[in-house]
Amino acid sequence: MAGRPPPAQPRRRIPGAPFLAAPGTLFVVLFLLLPLCLMLRYSFNRFVPGDMMREALTGANYAKFLHDPFYQDVLGTTLWVSAVSTAICVVAGFPVAYYLARSAGPQLKPALMMAVALPLLMGNAVRSAAWMVMLGKNGVLAKLAAVTGIAADVNLMYTPTAVIVAMVSVLLPFMIITVQSSLENADRAIEEAAASLGAPPLRVLVRVVLPLCSPGLVAGAVLCFVLSMNAYATPVLIGGPKMHMMAPTVYDEIAKAMNWPFGAALAFILMAVTLILTVASNVVAQRHYRKWTG
Amino acid sequence: MERQRPRIGGVLYRASAYAVLAFVLAPLAVIVWVAFFANPIIGFPPTGYTLRWFARAWASEDFRSGFLLSVQLGIAAAAISLLLGVPASIAIARHDFPGREAINTLLMAPLVVPGIVGGAALFIGYLAFELATGIQIAGNLAGLLIAHTLLAIPWTVRLVTAALLRVDASIIEAAVNLGASPFVAFRRVTLPAIRPGLVAAVMLSFVISFIDLEKSLFLVGPGRTTLQIAIMNYLEWNLDPTIAAVAAVQIAIIGLALLAADRAVGLTRII
Repeated sequence: MAGRPPPAQPRRRIPGAPFLAAPGTLFVVLFLLLPLCLMLRYSFNRFVPGDMMREALTGANYAKFLHDPFYQDVLGTTLWVSAVSTAICVVAGFPVAYYLARSAGPQLKPALMMAVALPLLMGNAVRSAAWMVMLGKNGVLAKLAAVTGIAADVNLMYTPTAVIVAMVSVLLPFMIITVQSSLENADRAIEEAAASLGAPPLRVLVRVVLPLCSPGLVAGAVLCFVLSMNAYATPVLIGGPKMHMMAPTVYDEIAKAMNWPFGAALAFILMAVTLILTVASNVVAQRHYRKWTG
Repeated sequence: MERQRPRIGGVLYRASAYAVLAFVLAPLAVIVWVAFFANPIIGFPPTGYTLRWFARAWASEDFRSGFLLSVQLGIAAAAISLLLGVPASIAIARHDFPGREAINTLLMAPLVVPGIVGGAALFIGYLAFELATGIQIAGNLAGLLIAHTLLAIPWTVRLVTAALLRVDASIIEAAVNLGASPFVAFRRVTLPAIRPGLVAAVMLSFVISFIDLEKSLFLVGPGRTTLQIAIMNYLEWNLDPTIAAVAAVQIAIIGLALLAADRAVGLTRII
């Protein structure tokens, strides 16, 4: 998402022009970078109940995470919910992305693109509320199950399945848009060549289309994974009080328990795990990609 | 390449694409529908339709003040991020200087740092500052505004930089050569040319600020909650047509803002 900036337009140099960027840059340094550094420093402090924290240089907060099975379970739950959600997004998102890039007519396409993009910015609280209406005891799905006679009394809320369902629906648009734009950039003549040389559609899909858009698939998967690792509203509202995931736990430690050192350590563990897995998956994907395209 | 006859695979693929789209959109459609139900407890099918949940939502102090605060924050954050972001975009789009790439990365950083981590850091930073100087920011309007501006900056810089790069530099060059001062050239030539980008930046900044939950979570104070936090608090105990009405209003407002952004530059180009 960040990426490198596009090359600047050649223009007469005005001395001091870079200073135009100073106020914005200073703002980000002051209110993002500096607080992050402070939080990193605090994660090595000692927590004293009732007295907030004592200045120290200890690894105790990180050690606590390593020794307490509860917090490892929290990370484990977060990891597998994120992994399953991401996998479903890859599988379910691809047909939509392909449909948008290749099959949708010129009139239908902008409307469908809008329908994919709009939910992205509807807010996680509202989207969770919408899934609560779908999944709850008197919800749409329970009613459907009762009417069709599948099950009399279903309540899907407060289960890991419900969290994954809601998470997938929140993340899918990210996946669809990323893969769609990578398909848009891939030359469709290659697919047509493969098809006209007699390859059946499934073979074209596996041997040509998927390798061509695999950078998009990887980028989309990474985006979905990162977002679900850090999800807050969905686990809290759909997962309920018994479902513990990382972001809500960070919030509880810092804002409710006021255990800043440990909360800070948790926040950095979350960021580090996410970053390591993201980088690793990129490395693996690139190696495969090279093998794939020869 | 058109196929002669529809294959079973082709039919399945289309059906699955539409099923996935429905899966994404259906919950939002359903919650808007529920907002008009007459029955006070959500149940399907409805016994009738009414508009009273919208009145009830507006009558609720939490939702009304949350909504007003979120609107104010959104507008203020969009304005400040424009003030900070447009000059930065000009530097990035028009000038090559050492550290240009680093500054761009830094300006995009609020997008990359997870909301809950950034929010926690800001909260800790505010309290440390308060401890050192006695000036309170956490739980204040200023504290929230800083956080929301931070969220809006990357989007503003990205959109305005893209708009600037589409302006032909030689036109500005011509204006300057004909005697316009850099300021006049900016106001009379560049500004009109990048107006669609600015509109999109303002709309998107507003929406991003309006829907923020994670960053605000740490920074709201008693009697000062944003709409998203009010929704979140309400949902922990209730799920009724009143909250559906709040959701419906939010969906309508954001939908309109995004349609405006879409008319200006094309929404899918932004995200």
